[in-house]
Amino acid sequence: MSTAKRQLEDLNVIVSGQGGDGSLTVINILADVLRGYGLRVYTERDVLSRIKGGITAATLRAYNGERLCIGSDIDLLVAFDVLAVKKHAYRLNERSVVIYDNSGGGLPEGHGVPAGARVIGVPLSRHAVRTFRRDIYKNSISFAVIGRLLGLADADMRTSFEKRFGRRGAQALKYNLDALTIGCSLADEAGLTTDAGMYDIVGKETRPHMLITGNEAVAFGFLVGGGRFFAGYPITPSTDIMEWLVKWMPKFGGVVRQAEDELSAVNMAIGAALTGTRTMIATCGPGLSLMQEGIGQLGMAEIPLIVVDAQRGGPSTGLPTKPEQSDINLMVYGGHGDFPRVVLAPGTPEECFHLAVEAGNLAEKYQCPVFMALDQGLSQNLATVDPFDLEKVVVDRGKRLDEQGLAQAEAYRRYAFSDDGVSAFAAPGMAGGMSLVTGNEHDEWGLVSTDPVNRVKMMDKRQRKLESMQPDLPRAVNHGVETADIGFVGVGMTYGVILEAIDLLAEQGVYAQYHQPRTLFPMLDETPTFTRRCKRTYVVEYSATAQLAKLIVAQGGEQANIHNILKYDGTPMRAEEIVRRVLGDLGVKEVEVA
Amino acid sequence: MTTTFTPARPIWCAGCGDFGVLQALVNALEELGVPPHKRMVIAGIGCSGSLQNNLSCYGYHALHGRVLPTATGAKLANPELTVIGVGGDGDGYAIGGGHLMHAFKRNPGVTYIVMNNGTYGLTKGQPSPTAPVGYGDNIEEDLDPIMLGLSIPGSTFLARAYSGAPAQLLELTKAALEHTAAGRGMSYLEVLSPCVTYNDTYRDWRTSVYDIDAEAGYDAGNRAQAFVRMSELREQGRLPLGLVYRGERPALEELALNRDFEAPALQDVAGPAALAGYREAMQSFMR
Repeated sequence: MSTAKRQLEDLNVIVSGQGGDGSLTVINILADVLRGYGLRVYTERDVLSRIKGGITAATLRAYNGERLCIGSDIDLLVAFDVLAVKKHAYRLNERSVVIYDNSGGGLPEGHGVPAGARVIGVPLSRHAVRTFRRDIYKNSISFAVIGRLLGLADADMRTSFEKRFGRRGAQALKYNLDALTIGCSLADEAGLTTDAGMYDIVGKETRPHMLITGNEAVAFGFLVGGGRFFAGYPITPSTDIMEWLVKWMPKFGGVVRQAEDELSAVNMAIGAALTGTRTMIATCGPGLSLMQEGIGQLGMAEIPLIVVDAQRGGPSTGLPTKPEQSDINLMVYGGHGDFPRVVLAPGTPEECFHLAVEAGNLAEKYQCPVFMALDQGLSQNLATVDPFDLEKVVVDRGKRLDEQGLAQAEAYRRYAFSDDGVSAFAAPGMAGGMSLVTGNEHDEWGLVSTDPVNRVKMMDKRQRKLESMQPDLPRAVNHGVETADIGFVGVGMTYGVILEAIDLLAEQGVYAQYHQPRTLFPMLDETPTFTRRCKRTYVVEYSATAQLAKLIVAQGGEQANIHNILKYDGTPMRAEEIVRRVLGDLGVKEVEVA
Repeated sequence: MTTTFTPARPIWCAGCGDFGVLQALVNALEELGVPPHKRMVIAGIGCSGSLQNNLSCYGYHALHGRVLPTATGAKLANPELTVIGVGGDGDGYAIGGGHLMHAFKRNPGVTYIVMNNGTYGLTKGQPSPTAPVGYGDNIEEDLDPIMLGLSIPGSTFLARAYSGAPAQLLELTKAALEHTAAGRGMSYLEVLSPCVTYNDTYRDWRTSVYDIDAEAGYDAGNRAQAFVRMSELREQGRLPLGLVYRGERPALEELALNRDFEAPALQDVAGPAALAGYREAMQSFMR
């Protein structure tokens, strides 16, 4: 074999097997080690809605710089199962390497691995069972083979195992370290000696950093934004938010309750929000469908609440573990009747953090529901992120009356008419603030009223918030060449893919820009304006019916300039798909770039 | 003095049992010295769901059936409030029935008063879950929520009153509020509250109610015995009134809140107090 080592600039690895084979563990440890070498990492998981079994996969990209998506080509496939080889073979090329478990025999006919790819069979499972009587240790054995192949130092592998398994007790650590040792001798047998690695790994990053998912960042942002009450019902892919908060909220005097269903969750949250507590719920499509009556109540009764939707494949139970962005209509238009709401759309874990704070501020300032539109990829994929500047976080609780302010007021009307549509709030428990909150149409005191004149004034008051909140709504971020004729619009997990596509297009001599809206509703003028500024605007989204593109058109976007890139097969988009589509549309022939 | 809303006059029909419930609640709160600004009354949808408009309090008109989850959230966020849930049998046992068992199980510090009239008055007389077979075209057996409560080990206060027996109603209302104020959790009080327009049961109930408080040897601390006695009385066609069961168990908020901190609603979260803690939380993501 060639001994010329490559500089590791961009590495894409899939570890795949049956659910429960421990693929994700391998990827997570690998992420940790490579991060230690100064590379930025991004991981993706492809799991099924079952605890064990089925072919699942975890994917990692290590990059000398920043990429928030998995690359189009896979450099290394680690397969615990021949079915896993078949499933992922189409993503390999002649430079790829496959490590597979040959305990059950060699690769069968029709495995699909392209000619030229290097295939290394290692009896992982056989050794795991022989030594530990437990098949599960095959993943730790495989790690040594992967490490040797990539050029990781044995000592670094051991350190990462100590970090990972040390928490699980001495026994677990010993077994896994033994497995690593077995893996090293199997690697030796396969010719992967300590100096046989493919890469020289030299990363740029030396600063401390975080490895964090969008869900974790939302949960953390909510906490730092002063959130002290969360209610939820377990539902993939939003559950990690509740799990993180269950662990951390009590340390700050906050409360997390797991409700009996989503109806209860949204109403528990309403109860807490009524007392003046910053409150959040998190769910995805099916749960949000159940919560719709509560969402309308928030609008009508003017109650602040952060509502996170970690979108997954719909409709109905749909694709519970797969990405989609097809709840945009539900967030923007859901609920009966007319009421103001805000829909924010972060694109990175960092934005998840900051927008969770903003969502709380907007909810309390404008006393209405504020959605955070996430998706399975943004929610669950792990990325290298720089530490957040906690000191810069500003918590704005809006027009709140304290005891003194209340005492000085001549009268307290919960729904007092105002120019900006917002009425001051006095938290229950304060003397002199007795008030009525209701989802019936009401007068300024909160007493039920069907008077037509009052109805129109109240409706207009609530709707005025959509105007008055404009200066506070998060602006879009624009990336790429501002004068380019080709434009992209996309939110959530399309962020990293679009940015990579722009770089790949530039290599082909095609320049493009990316408008990343962070407020979907009420949509700011900047977004429809962008579709008029570019000759061709590609709206990239995970929806069969182009929900985002249609929203932009409804808000004044230029339909004739808009082209849809739609994905709804339950798999994450690759930059290559966008590049091919754009080059095809332009009639540009793709050239091989070194 | 800051002017606040003037409590509205009740919208109920003359003779409605809900007047008695309102009067008992107002008197009980006065007697126990709960000031208006510490009261949070969370009401359901239906005739009884307008009660919060008729006394001085922080009132909330909940979504149909969602009184208990809302009240639970409010109490956890601010346990200093006297949180009272009120509603009807349709609200509490039909559309909101699923929450009732979970509320018994959780035992939040909430007093829940259900005005049971066996019918949907506001929509003009459809049978509710407590309507007997033969009411209108009802062919379904009626539900006994007290027995449901007895069957759930977490329940701590189960009582039934009758708006036609105001002295006992007042005493049970006070006992319910006191149970919750003492940190023992949810007090559940069902009040038989006739609908004079669609299900005028005054005559039937006058003869079928049975005062368990007056029964010698009845032990409200014995769940099994209470269940047996409730079953017997039901078979005899009687409607038991009084304190059916009272148990000892800490309230949800005692278990769920970290008392090293102010309650969620009372914390100053805009200040820098928690910054060091936030840094520690961020450290858990650092690699």
